[in-house]
Formats: sequence, C-alpha cells, structure tokens
Amino acid sequence: MTELKHYFAPTSLDQAVECLKDGDVTILAGGTDLTPQSQAGRVKIKHTLMNVRHIPQLSGITLEGREIRIGALATITEIMEHPLVKEHLPVLVEACDHFASDQIRNAGTIGGNICNASPAGDTLIPLLVLNASVELASMPEAKLYRHSMPLSTFFVGPGKTRKSLCELVTCVRIPVPAENHVARFYKHGTRPALDISTISIGVAGTLKDGVMSNVRVAFGAVAPTPVRASQTEQALEGQRLDAATIDKVAAVARDEVKPIDDVRATAWYRKEMIHNITKRILSHVAQA
Amino acid sequence: MNVAEKKPRIIQPDSLIGKRIQKMDAPEKASGRTRYIHDINLSGQLHGKILRSGRIHALIKSIDTSAAKALPGVHVVITAADIPDQRPIGVAKDHFPLKVGRVRSERDEIAAVAAESEEIAEAALKLIKVEYEDLPVIGNPEDAIKPGAPLIHPEPHGADGTHLHLKQGTSIAHKGKPDNIAMRFDYAHGDVVQGEAASDVVVEDTFKLHYVTHCCMGVSGMIAEFDASGNVLMYSNTQVPFLHKREFAEYLNIDPARIRIIQPPIGGGFGSKLDIYPFEVICLYLARAARRPVKMLFTREEEFLASPTRQPVLLTLRSGCKKDGTLTFRQVHTLHDNGAYTSWGATTPFVMMQTFSSLYRVPHCDYHTAAVYTNNPYAGSFRGYGNLQATFAIEQHMDMLAEKIGMDPLEFRIKNAQDAGEVTGQGMSFKSCGFKDCITTAATRSDFSRKFKENAANRNKPGNIRRGIGMASMLHVGGGAKIYPSDGCGTILKMDDFANVTLITGASEIGQGSETVLSQLVCEELGLPISAVTVVNNDTAITPWDVGVHASRTTFIAGNSAIGAAKKAKAKILAVAAKKYEAAESDLDLRGGFVIQAATGEAIVELSKLLRNLHFQDKAELVMTTFYYEPPSVHQDKGFKGDVSAAYAWGTQVVEVEVDTDTGFVKLVKVTGAHDVGRVLNRLGIEGQIEGGVVMGQGYAFTEDLMIENGVMKNPNFRDYKLVTAPEIPEMDIAFIESMDGEGPQGAKGVGEAPAICMAAAAANAIANATGTRMFELPFTPEKVYRALHGQTPKLYWKPWKAE
Repeated sequence: MTELKHYFAPTSLDQAVECLKDGDVTILAGGTDLTPQSQAGRVKIKHTLMNVRHIPQLSGITLEGREIRIGALATITEIMEHPLVKEHLPVLVEACDHFASDQIRNAGTIGGNICNASPAGDTLIPLLVLNASVELASMPEAKLYRHSMPLSTFFVGPGKTRKSLCELVTCVRIPVPAENHVARFYKHGTRPALDISTISIGVAGTLKDGVMSNVRVAFGAVAPTPVRASQTEQALEGQRLDAATIDKVAAVARDEVKPIDDVRATAWYRKEMIHNITKRILSHVAQA
Repeated sequence: MNVAEKKPRIIQPDSLIGKRIQKMDAPEKASGRTRYIHDINLSGQLHGKILRSGRIHALIKSIDTSAAKALPGVHVVITAADIPDQRPIGVAKDHFPLKVGRVRSERDEIAAVAAESEEIAEAALKLIKVEYEDLPVIGNPEDAIKPGAPLIHPEPHGADGTHLHLKQGTSIAHKGKPDNIAMRFDYAHGDVVQGEAASDVVVEDTFKLHYVTHCCMGVSGMIAEFDASGNVLMYSNTQVPFLHKREFAEYLNIDPARIRIIQPPIGGGFGSKLDIYPFEVICLYLARAARRPVKMLFTREEEFLASPTRQPVLLTLRSGCKKDGTLTFRQVHTLHDNGAYTSWGATTPFVMMQTFSSLYRVPHCDYHTAAVYTNNPYAGSFRGYGNLQATFAIEQHMDMLAEKIGMDPLEFRIKNAQDAGEVTGQGMSFKSCGFKDCITTAATRSDFSRKFKENAANRNKPGNIRRGIGMASMLHVGGGAKIYPSDGCGTILKMDDFANVTLITGASEIGQGSETVLSQLVCEELGLPISAVTVVNNDTAITPWDVGVHASRTTFIAGNSAIGAAKKAKAKILAVAAKKYEAAESDLDLRGGFVIQAATGEAIVELSKLLRNLHFQDKAELVMTTFYYEPPSVHQDKGFKGDVSAAYAWGTQVVEVEVDTDTGFVKLVKVTGAHDVGRVLNRLGIEGQIEGGVVMGQGYAFTEDLMIENGVMKNPNFRDYKLVTAPEIPEMDIAFIESMDGEGPQGAKGVGEAPAICMAAAAANAIANATGTRMFELPFTPEKVYRALHGQTPKLYWKPWKAE
C-alpha cells in the first residue's frame, strides 16, 4: 500500500502543467495500469497523485485538417466506436478489439497506453505504422508550451519515454491515410482477450498495382520498446507482393528482431512467429 | 363440511428425479447477495497478516519484531518462538505453522501480525527484520533423489549448528527425515515379466505433468474467536469440518468439544480446502494471543503463492498388448514433486493406481511411486486426485498401441473395457458399469471413427489448419471412498406443522449443488415440492457427523443418508395415518403434499393437517428422524487391494481440435461426453457440473501453467496464469448413461470429479490425430505445440526408478 500524500484533480491544462512543474507527480487517467503496478510495488506513487480526467483539452476525437486528433483521455472503447476512426483508421479499431477486456477498455485511455510504454502495448503498433505523433504540454516559464514528436522516437525502454517529468501528453495526431493505403495488425497470444501479446505486428503502406511503397512495419513484444523495423521496411519498399518477396521479407523480419525469453514465450518462438505471421499478413494483403 | 360428498381428489404421480431444478443458492449468488467469509465482520475484530519468507531454502538466523510490535494499532506479533506448544501439521506432520529454524519454500510462514486494520498489519510486516543464511535449493524432484542431495528435512538444527532440541515426538518436523522421500506407493497384481513375454507389441514413454492450482474465485480466509470460557468459534471455508474440528483441537491442545466451525458459503473448493494449512492455525494463535476475533484473508497473489497445487508428475509407462488387441501388462513408475511439505497431493497415487490397474482389463500391473521433497510449492488435493495425470498417460498409450497393431482405437478400447460384474486385479468390484456404453455413445455422437480416419488422411494436405479428434475414458470412485475409519454421513430431518422439512445434514455445500440434490431426494420420498425444504449444513454444533466433501461422495453418501431419514419420517407418518383413517400402511403413500391411497392416488388428508393433528394433541409427537449411512465398501489391505468404493463412475470424452501449424495454436472446437452417472438426479445441476469440469480440464490441458523456477513462482497472477475465458469454451454435447446403481440414491453415482479427468488425454490424442505429433508434456500452449511440430522438442525420458 502506498500512502497518499496529496491528491489533485485539475480542470484545465494550465493547472495540470503548472502542477507538474516540480516533477514529483504521478499522473492518473484510466488507472488500469497504475493501479496494479502500484499495488504490486513496481510503481511508487509520488508526492502528488494528479487525476487528469477532468481536463477538457485532453478529450475528444476530431478531424483537424488532414490529421485525426485523438485526445489523450479517449478511452479504448471511444476510439473503437468513433466514426472517424472507423472510417480512416480501421487498423487501430482492430488493435482496440484485441485490447484487454470490455471493462478495461472502458476505463483505459490511449494516453495511458502510450505513457505506460509497454513493449507489448496494443495500440502502439498501429499508431507507429500510421505515423502518429504525440503532443506534449508543459509550462517551462509562466506560459503553456506544446510540442510534438514522432511516436517512433518517443519510447526509450519498458515504461520509459522521452516525456520529461514536467510534461503531459495531450493527444496523438495521425495523418489521414492517402488513397490506396493498406494497413494490417495482428496480435498473437494464447487467447482471444485479456492477454498480453506474445508478439504483435503492424504493417502499413500504399499498395498500387501490386507494389508496396511508403512502407511502415512495427513489431511489439520483441524489444524493450515497440519498434519500427527498418530492415523489413526496406526489404518491402517498392517491391511487388509476390511469393518470393513475401518469403524474403518474412526472413528479414525474423532476423531483424532481437526478442528475449520471458514467461510468455522464448526468443526462438517469437522470431518464428514474427516470420510466420509477417508472411501471413503480407499474403493476405497480396490476395485482398 | 362433509368430506364424503366431495368428489375424490386424485393426485397424479410426479417425480423430481431427472428434472432441471435450479440450484437453491442460485438467486442469492446471481444477485450478489451471498455473504461469503469476506463479507463477515465481527465486532472487535482484528486483521491478521502473515510474513512469508521470500527465500526458497534458508536457515533463519534471527527475527526482530520489536519495531512491528511498537507500531500503533498492532495488537500481537508472533513468531515460532512465541508459540512454544506449536505442533506440526499436515498429512505427514512435517511442518510447523510458524517455521522453526529453517524455511523450505517461498511461501513459508515466518511471523504473523494482528492489527486494527489490514493496512496497519501490512505496514507492521514490513517492519519485521529477518536474517537468513541461504541453503542450496532443490528445484526439481530428479535432483532430490540424487545421491548426496541436500536434505529438505534434516534433523532440526539451529543456525549455529546446535541441535534445536524440539519437543520429542515421532513426527518428521521433530526428528527430521534421512532422505527426501515424502511418501511411496508400490502396487502389483499378476506378473509383468510374464505379461511382457506374452506381448506382441510394447511401448514405453515418459510423460510430464505440470503445476496448476485451483484458482478459487473466493480467496482463502477465516475468522477465529475465543470466547470468555476459552471456547473457539471459527468461520472457515473447510471442506471437512468434522475431521478438522478434531485436528484444530489437537493443535490448540484443547478438548475438541470446545471447537465450533461455521462454514459460510464458499467461493470455490475443488479439493483445495481438504487439508489444514498454516494460515488457519496461525489465525487461531493470533486470536488466542489477542483475545479478540481475528480475520485473515489472502490477497490474490497470496492465494497463488500459499495455496496447494495439483501435483506435478514425471511418469514412465510401459504397456503391452497382443496382435489381437488384448492388453497384456502395464508397468508404471512415477516421481511426484511433493514440494517442501506433505499434503494430500502425496497420496494421489492411491487413485492413480486404480486407473492403471482397473480402467481396462489388464492381467499384469506393476506400479511404483515416490513423492519427493523439493523446495517447490507443496501439492494438495485437486478435483480428479491424480487421475488426470494417470489418464493422460494411459489413454495416449491406448491410441499408440492400437496404431502399432493396426487396430481402430475405438475397437481396441471396447475390446479391453470393463463390464458390470467384473472384479479387477486390484479387487474393485464393478456392480454397475456403463463403460462400453460411454465409449460407443461418445463415439457415435461425435462421428469419431469417420473423422479419425479422415483427419489422419488429410494431415499432409496444403494449408496451415489441421483437424483432429481424440478420445479418452476414465474410471473414478462414485460411491465414496473408504479411507478414514468411517465414510459415512448423518442426517437429522424434522418436519414442522406446515409439512415443511428442515434437512440437517453433515454434508457441506461447496458450490457443487448438494443442497438441491439432497432436497430433491427427500421430497421424492415425502411427496413434497422442493420449496418445502430448508437445508442446514454449515455448523458443527448442529449438523451430524460427515467425513467431508471429497472423492465425489456427497450425492451418493449424503444422498443415501437423507433418503434413510426421509424414509423413517414417511414410515412414521403413514403409521399415524393408517391408524387414524383405518387403512393398512402399505395401502397409503405420500404425494403432492397429501396422504393418498397408493393404488388410486386419491387424497385422504393434507399432510400438513395430519402433522398438526399429531403435534397438537395430548400425546403429541414430532416427526423428527435421524439416519446414518455407511457405504458397504471396505478398507483396502496393505497391498492396496479391496473394493474401496460402493460404486464406480465411468466416462468417455471425445475432443475435437484445430491445430494452426504456423503458430502452434490449438483451438478446442467441440467436446462430446458420455458419463455413466448411475442416474441423473438434477439435470440442470449435473450439466453445469460436467461443463464446469470440462472447462477445468481444458485449462489443465491448454492454458493453465503455474510456472516454478528453482522454487520461485513466476506468475502468481491472472495475467500470466491463464484460466480459460468465455470465448475459448468449446461446443459441448454431453450424454448421460444411466446404469442405475443398485446401492446409489435413486440409482445415482458420484460425478463431481469425473468431467475434468479425460480432457488432457483426449486433447493429446486429438493433436496426434491432426498432426501425427505426440505431446508428452502439458500444457499444450502454442509454443509447446509449435516446438513439437517442428521437431524442437527432445524426446522426454525418465529412467524408471523406485525408492529402496
């Protein structure tokens, strides 16, 4: 049990980032990661527990120009059910559909899933292949300051990100996919729900006349962070999706990842699955 | 009113047997109103917590509880040193509730605190300082039997090497054990050498069974209170209140008459509450020291760490048959990981040998088991009691032998299956036996033979999905098991003046539906609706003796006991009615709440009216009866021979799977079961019990795996310990074979454990049918199956070994 010293529930972004200034703050949104982690003693609640759920600037899913903005407080259920996401980002819906259970989807937020920075985080793989960027807010002086960074550079290690202690994730922005965009996500685990990925794979790109371009490939649960797979992307970029290419790309993917053994699988099995499922996904894309 | 002028009222015959009757506790449980032990709080109650070692094998050098004792809100802090009269507990009396001198597993109890809140108790635990000196760890049973292996229970010595001079006793906890063998069983009938010589085909394989645990939704807990006279009241989740009452008295060194156990509704048992565990005795010590009620509840992590497990088994089986399909012999050696202490898990070979010796007719059988001490979690009793492990090996060998001699596996099984009237080599007598009906029914309903051949033929076709079908059968006690001096159960039945029945039974309800079935049996005798019965079954101060909920015995034993009491009540009522209405007793019956003419169904008098007449008169009498039922089974002799149960249950399950060869993922598509249950009493109840058992067997086969590495539990949580979830549950088609057991209540036999037993064996056979690859090790997780399919699983072999 952690003894709670100070609880704060700001109602504006300014209040929140002001509070973050001294850095000794634990941020609470859905609580679906924080609660079990603090109870197990893996995360210590800092001096102030700040509940960000009442900050209107962190919510909503909107189209802003050619980008879809998903507020950090959007729950997994809201994302799954939102018309904009369904229309433009079905691969994200697919990932949400494999996310934990209904109860956790109703409480868990996308901002939380990003900041928890699990190598197996379910939304992170589709966000990476959708080229998402993450927006951070802080108050270095007396004024609110926002900046963005590509999600692909955001993760540093398990539970570690480039977000400083004084920053708050406000939203993710995802470019609306262009014409001929294809994207796939596959989560491999031992059961259909309530499962941490053994591995997960995201593939996206432009498929025109049987040729893949603008390729992005991301893998989950094979490294300390969710990762983009640059060698696999290069092997696929500009290639016609025929059987030989698919075999080659799957082999590159297997060689590119450096997973570990843990309670869920061995490194060997993870590499095998990266190979077999990459092959399966690309075959499906080719046949679609 | 002139009764004679009224048209006679005819009560039509009706029966509750075989109907779908809602469990009596269902509305309370479904609406969340049931008050489990977690919901009970006594005034003045303190909260108890236990400090566990966290070390795997170590000497305790010192314990400092001074800071914990000084924490405001803490009432009592105890260690072994504070309880000089501690007595060893467990099946082999090989450990103390609070450990003395040495810890032998991660869960070991070092100290305990009673405080005003759980939070304070937790905080106090953190203030207790313990110094250890680590010892070499035995992480698997094979290491435990190596020459020169460290002893888990050496003669007790302190950290400085001096003898601890524990109070003299004959128990292992006092005098130690010169080897790591906790328990051994050796059984034989016939002569396996002769059997092997007569064989055309012999197969030998090693099978490896893993750790799983019960995962009761309600975590363990109890409340203990000493009154001003020193009497003890316990709210406990035990499955065996009467035996435990006596045992608790022994641990407290008081008269058993001073102990009263009340059992609140239980959030899952499955065998886990069959033994006394350290936390229960520690809770009593805390309450005694604090002079306040103490409540102790496990956290979920603690439930994983400190609950008993199913016993992991390494098993080498050698089986043979003739070309014509006649079984010739079986030779079995097993090594059980007992864990650090001995609970009922060590005795499961008792059940396993029944399956080896008697599931099929086998003229020669030789069986040797050793359960050995390690520093792992200790194994208890768990639904099926060793039979899942034995069946896993035997039923795979049945398929393998059939394949070797080119016989259809179904035909091979039927050829060797038992019939009614058989007395086996072990002396078990099968008075009712629907085994062959089970096999053929399950096979017909699943279209087994056609699918089996087609799947095998389709193995090498393109695509990554392979279909498989496999079968397995089981034999389990179904009429109690005579293990204790008595296997009986008592009933007190009383009727009130409205013809309502209070059924006071020794049999505990642990969610299996016993209240409902016992009520049905009573109502069937007394011609009453089920709503007329109130069951009292949870207070040792009120209920008559019963040996406990185990061995699938409650319906059979408590059922016969309830029927006995109801029959006595009926006889008394009919005698009174016969006298009053000048009829012969044999011409009367009870039906629909009336005394009737047996031949015509004509109502003579409302039962409630008759009872009021009986109660409210000068020579008043109450209808109150008692009955004690002891089954006609026998204790086995020293060679484990004899008819241990009054009846035996049979079952066959056919499992259909789809194996994804790209991932190793096995989808369980359908389970077709046929169970010889004697007779269906409550159809809704038995369907639920079978479906639940199938899912428990599915978890054992595919998903559940309590991972222990060198004594350390890697996954004490539901995230990584994977119970089956709703979408994974397969289609089920369950048929009942009604063999109408002559001794069973209304012909019924026990079924509680049966449905979990066959699943892993049948699944292994289905995977082999789908892929041609045999799985010798559980569970069938995607990675394990994928490895086996890709030749990455070295062939298991454990050289048969038996204790000297």
